[in-house]
Amino acid sequence: MQLFPCPFCGPRDETEFQFATEAGKTRPEPAAEVSAERWTKYLYLKDNPKGPTREVWLHVTCGEFFLMERDTVSHAVAGSQALGGDPR
Amino acid sequence: MASGSSPVHDSAIKWPAFPDWEFAGIQREGWRARPVVGLSQVLVSGDFGAALVAHAPGATEIGLWAVAEGDPVALRIARDRVLLVGSGPFDVPLGWNGSWAASTAGDAWFVVDMEGPAMADVIREGTAADLDASSPSAAILFAGVQAILYRRADRRARLHVEAPHGPYLWRWLEARAG
Repeated sequence: MQLFPCPFCGPRDETEFQFATEAGKTRPEPAAEVSAERWTKYLYLKDNPKGPTREVWLHVTCGEFFLMERDTVSHAVAGSQALGGDPR
Repeated sequence: MASGSSPVHDSAIKWPAFPDWEFAGIQREGWRARPVVGLSQVLVSGDFGAALVAHAPGATEIGLWAVAEGDPVALRIARDRVLLVGSGPFDVPLGWNGSWAASTAGDAWFVVDMEGPAMADVIREGTAADLDASSPSAAILFAGVQAILYRRADRRARLHVEAPHGPYLWRWLEARAG
């Protein structure tokens, strides 16, 4: 069992969280002119880095989407912050 | 498909019968549980602080495992959302009200009170959350389902689970040893 830090609730069991996406993706615009291949890349393809990464996670119980920095090898969490700022 | 005289398949027969919540109870060594019926519950989203000032000024904001001694109480379940709970009806205008919105949720949550010296041990079977570390949000995952957990007294816990999970929570509690 691992604890993840929700920026609002504080440390909670990992089972309360869902991975949303890798951080830093930019939604392609304008939507009407975006090709299917570009949408596919945006929605489904991940860089999946080995080591430190920045990801968007959802704390299911409070509904907060937030940014979490963690290491995909050691699983160590470096920190988290609300998407609008507010580091914890 | 059901055969015989009934032309309509009755899925209800698949489900076990559940007790009359008015009179249900679980008694174990060191703890007991009973459903809490008849509470007023209103979900307030957005600038809930403004709503509380205007319509429930006495409501105390409650987080995880905090002791809620007053009535009514505002259970914090998200950064911008509380569940207003009280023994009497609320005079809160429903729908959008400028910076906040309210909706009745009396039937949305099944509520159980648990008390006794061993109550906390049973609670800790249902969640890995650190109950001794304060959290502003009372919303947790309990026994695998969405719940709101706080206390009405030092050794009296109250759980709200989404109403469809109520019978499941009751069976889960019945399976706990004394």
